[in-house]
Amino acid sequence: MFILDSILIGSLRFVLEKVVAAAEAEMNDDTALRDQLLEAQMQLELGEITEKEFARIERDVLARIREIKRPQQGALTMSPEDKITGVDIESFEPDEER
Amino acid sequence: MRLSASPRRASGGVDAVELDAPRAFARWLAANRRALGDVLEHGTWLDRDDVNALLDLSIPGIDELLGILEIARLSESDYERIVIDTAPTGHTLRLLAAPDTVAAVAEILDALQEQHRIIRDQLARVGRVEASDRLIAMLAAQARDTAERLRDRRQTTFRWVTLPEAMSLAESEDGVGALEQSGLHVDAIVVNRVLPDGAPCPICDRRRAAERRVVATIRRRLGRGRSVLLVPAQLREPHGQRGLAALGRVMAHGSGLMARRSWRKAEPSAIDHLPSAISHQPWRGAHSAAPESIAAFQRASLLFFGGKGGVGKTTVSAAAALRIAKADKKRRVLLLSTDPAHSLADVFQATVGDTARRLPRGPRNLEVRELDAAHAFAARRVQLEAALDEIAAAFGAGAVSASAGSTPELVKLAPPGIDELFGILSVVDARSAYDLVVVDTAPTGHALRLLEMPDAAREWTQVLMRVLLKYKSLVRPGQLASELVEISKSIRALQALMRDGARTRFIVVTRAAEVPRAETARLLARLRALRLAAPAIVVNALTMSPGRCARCRATAAAERREVSALRRLCRGRCAMIEAPLAAPPPRGARALDEWARRWRQPDSSQGHKGQQRTQREKQEA
Ligand SMILES: [Zn+2]
Repeated sequence: MFILDSILIGSLRFVLEKVVAAAEAEMNDDTALRDQLLEAQMQLELGEITEKEFARIERDVLARIREIKRPQQGALTMSPEDKITGVDIESFEPDEER
Repeated sequence: MRLSASPRRASGGVDAVELDAPRAFARWLAANRRALGDVLEHGTWLDRDDVNALLDLSIPGIDELLGILEIARLSESDYERIVIDTAPTGHTLRLLAAPDTVAAVAEILDALQEQHRIIRDQLARVGRVEASDRLIAMLAAQARDTAERLRDRRQTTFRWVTLPEAMSLAESEDGVGALEQSGLHVDAIVVNRVLPDGAPCPICDRRRAAERRVVATIRRRLGRGRSVLLVPAQLREPHGQRGLAALGRVMAHGSGLMARRSWRKAEPSAIDHLPSAISHQPWRGAHSAAPESIAAFQRASLLFFGGKGGVGKTTVSAAAALRIAKADKKRRVLLLSTDPAHSLADVFQATVGDTARRLPRGPRNLEVRELDAAHAFAARRVQLEAALDEIAAAFGAGAVSASAGSTPELVKLAPPGIDELFGILSVVDARSAYDLVVVDTAPTGHALRLLEMPDAAREWTQVLMRVLLKYKSLVRPGQLASELVEISKSIRALQALMRDGARTRFIVVTRAAEVPRAETARLLARLRALRLAAPAIVVNALTMSPGRCARCRATAAAERREVSALRRLCRGRCAMIEAPLAAPPPRGARALDEWARRWRQPDSSQGHKGQQRTQREKQEA
């Protein structure tokens, strides 16, 4: 039990580190997407694209931003800065397993 | 006579010229476009198309900048003396600061040119002076020489012209103080339209008493070391060479009122303590038209009040805002002054400042604010520097960076045009917090600048956005881009609001005299061109019950003629509101309230039709 748990925690930490790294990379992607949206907004203000075209670009960009955000939010309920050390394993055990 | 953009003989020995700033700038630009374009192309990664788009933008404050360049140009011609008729107070102060702005512009151009100069001189070893170098040197020299000439007492004197009214007194004190502080010498104060002595009359007597007090205060506070000239009010405003020459003689010899003993010192009289006398007449052929009952004022969200200097715009807009707020306690009303020479505080006899505040004992739903554009500009200096840096980066003008210190002057100054820019920004800001914004504008020319500002600002944001998009692979569009998008959106909303006659209206304030009427005609034409609804004209200070006084009767008769002419000018498109002469003018909330209750609208006035017309024009647009 204890070993299993420590493996689990170990792998959780591994996953967590992965996610943090990925989040950093994806933040950059996110910036590029935001730039793209900003450019489209400028084009709309300049009348270079129509409201309809803008709406399509906005939809695409927002969908892609959401895609980037999804795994990040699924994996984490704590902040990436939180360190996992000396976990009280008992407290992690769901009630029904007892 | 018609004046042109180049000096034209007006009479023996006198040439006259009216400066048309946009046209003068177009001429100046045509002569210097290549040199200027070269500087911008050398100092940035912009190409000729970008540069041309930039050069064709309309520039806020161009009147003052060009005014200074024209003064520089004319003072090099062989005129013995140049007499300059300046804009009203606030903008004259901007004009006189304009040499510093020109100098700052020259400095920026010089920084842009520097890189090119180094390459040219050291690498290509061409020690040749180009047209662009000459242009920069010329601008710098003109700015320096004009600034020096303006401050040299032997070459330049300043005559301050004012009216014998308490409100003008406060403005004069501020203005003369500001001029002296910036090193300009004011050697004479001219008090215009002073009522001469005459037979007893309840209205004239009150006016004389009030004017005497003001003149005495002018002498005391501004007269030291200066001459004070009084110009008598004439039944017909002097115009034409003969009338003007007669007026000039009066001024030159200090005759007329100055000679009279009664003007030498003010005797306080019992009459001073009476409430102001309002010229009043039974509602024959007219009906009561207090501001809250005027169709042209109702259901608006933006009401501009404007007209020639000295017609009583501030008094009229203050009374209107006050009564509208009192009539509907649920409407949040802001009275905003965008005239750099403020007088709301004097009209309300209360403290008014750059932050909106309620008046003591005023309605709770009315707030009052006097925009301090120079202060707003200084307060946003850090953001402006950041924005300028981003613009410089987007243009590839690395040599020019506000925070690095090569353009500090431009950001430190309150450049011409900021009153209009911040004026329109504060209208945008106020829109969300108030149901109605009443704007007391600067006199005509600058009110028009304010109204044109959204279009000009839109052009600017568009050119900047185009540049950002074009060079996005070189510089990421960042903070500046999102700000430009936001600004562009609010300007679009403002433009839509301003062109909607149901929500935005311009109320023209005038007096029933020839010169203000001529200016009203020009103002109405410009408003039409700007597609702004002008559904009402307020004719201020009408002598309504002349009694037996010969002067009042003659004045009233002349005013009736002018009112008819104004009505023809309206062509049934606007309501004519008549506001009675009050001696002295109403001051303080109570007096304003009482006075505005006496406004009237002649039964023949086409206000209702005008209103329908506005609606139809809106539908057509
Ligand atoms: Zn009289």
